[in-house]
Amino acid sequence: MTARWGLFLLPPLALTLLMLGFTQFIFLKSSVFADLGLGETGTAFTLENYIEAVTDPLYLNGMKLTLELAIGVVALTLVMTYPVAYVLTRMPARTASLLLAAIVCSSFVSVAIKILGMVIIFAGDGLVSRFFRWLGVIETSMQLLGTMTGVVFGYLHLAIGFMVMMLFSVLQTIPVKLEEAAQIHGASRLRVFWRVIIPLSLPGVLNAALIQFNLLMGAFVTATILGGGKVLTFPVLIQRTLVMFNDYGLASALSAVLLVIVLIINIAATAAVTRRRVAA
Amino acid sequence: MRRWRALPGYAWVGFVVAFIYAPILVVIGASVDPGYRISTRSYLVFPPTGFSLRWYASIPSSFWQSLWFSLELAAIVAAAALLIGLPAAFGLVRGRFPGRFAVDALFRAPLQIPVIVTGVAFLQSFYFIASLGGPALQGSLAGLFLGHLFLATPYTIGSIAASLQRFNPRLEEAALTLGASRLRVMWRVTLPMVMPGIYGGLLYAFLVSFTEVTISVFLAGTSTKPFPVMIFESVTSDMEPSVPALSTIVFLGSMLLIYAMQRLVGMEALLRSGGNST
Repeated sequence: MTARWGLFLLPPLALTLLMLGFTQFIFLKSSVFADLGLGETGTAFTLENYIEAVTDPLYLNGMKLTLELAIGVVALTLVMTYPVAYVLTRMPARTASLLLAAIVCSSFVSVAIKILGMVIIFAGDGLVSRFFRWLGVIETSMQLLGTMTGVVFGYLHLAIGFMVMMLFSVLQTIPVKLEEAAQIHGASRLRVFWRVIIPLSLPGVLNAALIQFNLLMGAFVTATILGGGKVLTFPVLIQRTLVMFNDYGLASALSAVLLVIVLIINIAATAAVTRRRVAA
Repeated sequence: MRRWRALPGYAWVGFVVAFIYAPILVVIGASVDPGYRISTRSYLVFPPTGFSLRWYASIPSSFWQSLWFSLELAAIVAAAALLIGLPAAFGLVRGRFPGRFAVDALFRAPLQIPVIVTGVAFLQSFYFIASLGGPALQGSLAGLFLGHLFLATPYTIGSIAASLQRFNPRLEEAALTLGASRLRVMWRVTLPMVMPGIYGGLLYAFLVSFTEVTISVFLAGTSTKPFPVMIFESVTSDMEPSVPALSTIVFLGSMLLIYAMQRLVGMEALLRSGGNST
């Protein structure tokens, strides 16, 4: 009986392996040949593309910026959404599901459209600028379009709705009784939160944070629009290499570098939490 | 007393929801503003200077076509993701065989690969297939479908697997003991119990496909342009003034869809099966 269930896996597994293996192989293959333009590639194996990808300061700075942005925004998103998800799980069910529905609806709106809204807010004579002028903080106008602050706001919008949904599904699995038990034994609310809720939700939270991190490491739309060509994250650089310079070899090598860095971080973070769990 | 203590938490929830909705409300406001300027970089203004539906009347047919195309694409992707996700989730949760963790990790790999890398990889692969004389997948519905399916399936598998894990196998045993056939048990006991996971999986897959831009930018063609790519191009080059109106229509449509889902299974059941299970 149990052996038969495993057989169900075969078709989906074969399909996933094919899509994953084939596409990854093809792009990795093109990263080790020189790009001769017009879609032609050299036939001799070369590491030229990789050498350029890891030595050119443009790409090094791009990687540093992307890592800082992704890690910073994931941390900020966690701090913002963890309490929200927690309050939602402890709130009357009707209100909670209404708010969750609102958040799910908002995630149907494409990033490009949310960014359009952000562009309006951040534009030279947009809402934010006028508000700060009204406050008297700034004299003329506040330009967020084409700045780092704008990109951070854009990334937050990219991550926040989905993060609330994922954290809600994690926190919902922690029974209220555990909290009550800890409180009966004299723990303060803060202590319960710190010693019960957070440790129990840690694996799920890490999983959610990693998914968001990977998402931000691979997104270029937000930085393209809100960065106005001035915030050159790694994905923006890859897209430029591909679309503007048509250098498929270099674009593939850059993608490979990005892939390896992201995978290492994923494996390291997962291993760290697994070890912690085993130790505990 | 208890109510007062909950107040800061509620206020924070309100703040975050307001933060999420700010750009959407601004877009809705702009959509009914008869006189917004789209010249230079100053784009649209908020609050609206008046009320009119003129932008709703002036939506170009190319945008309607691309919206329709995106809906079709997302529906096909969701259906296919379910066909793959259902057997995969059953196999993962109920199968007992060596290397289960490796299989699980493999199914989740698309979530670990940065989306732009997936985009580059699919683009190169499609060029490679075409160079061998195969079908031209770049710029085709089939190409976009494959790219989106790759991204969406892990969410569907996760959602169904989560509801399957919470399922008590004793219920199946009870039905079997009472004389139901295996097929009947599957149809009348198991499937109804994992239904929220199935709906959740469909919703996530639809959502991933419908809002995906990064991969779509690489794989779209001139006649196969998903809606988010259309908006992206409009925002980065010459601004089409009816984009806010169209976006508002999409938003209202999603509200209807979510309302229907809510009536069907309930929001909590939907999210309990979250996208990131096991």
